[in-house]
Amino acid sequence: MRIVFCGVGAVGSTAAMFCRNLPATLAFVDFDRVESKNLLAQAYTKPSLGKNKAEALKAQLLSFWGVKSEAFGVRVGKDNVEALCAPADLVVDAFDNLASRVVLSDFARAANKPLVHAAISGDGTFGLVRWDERFAPDAEDHAGQATCEGGEHLPMLGALGSALARVIQDFVKDGKRRDVMVSLSSVTTT
Amino acid sequence: MTILNITYNGYSADYPLDGDVRLADADVRRIAVEVVRAGGVRGLHVPELPENAFDHFVIDRFDEGARIYIRPKVPFG
Repeated sequence: MRIVFCGVGAVGSTAAMFCRNLPATLAFVDFDRVESKNLLAQAYTKPSLGKNKAEALKAQLLSFWGVKSEAFGVRVGKDNVEALCAPADLVVDAFDNLASRVVLSDFARAANKPLVHAAISGDGTFGLVRWDERFAPDAEDHAGQATCEGGEHLPMLGALGSALARVIQDFVKDGKRRDVMVSLSSVTTT
Repeated sequence: MTILNITYNGYSADYPLDGDVRLADADVRRIAVEVVRAGGVRGLHVPELPENAFDHFVIDRFDEGARIYIRPKVPFG
């Protein structure tokens, strides 16, 4: 099985760490680079500063646990989504913007490709994991809206990343497609 | 019975709605404000909740409207 993580920021990088046990090839797609502000909200370590996030996650999985993976340091768009995601058995959306989520959904629906989304509120108090057939992406309230960087919401990011990893594990195991809501008080299958 | 799930300020709980109701989004928002103010939702009692507290929240409907969720937007990843 091949699992392609699109976006390995706060939620994507955390979930990927918890998928390292899977009998699957993990592939990471992200054009962004690791900045110091990411260290308190994402799964990156200080030696990864300045590196492409996909490449950094690949290197960390290999050096920490001996897990081989693949990295693509590019921005996903209409022109390359098929090349990146067509070989996948499962596509994971952990992007941080509506436009990229739409690109993935359009591709997945046209190609009948399993796609699961994970998303978190700007104040870090609520998140959800939802399969594409029941998902509609949300826009920011305003451009440049503050996100949960800086570490204040790290436990919530851990809970949501973990919930996403569990949903992925269930799919790999027996094909189940569970949706999950994560709040400060509970993790609920919906 | 319809179940209305309300998420506010990081807490989430169900509130049962009597009968086979067909609610517009504006009704869902109004009911959510009223029941949270009144303490009718377990763990979610905010007496001074502003009238517009849910104006920018998303309303999801599943199971042919039998489950309604009102929740914050989740734009980030």
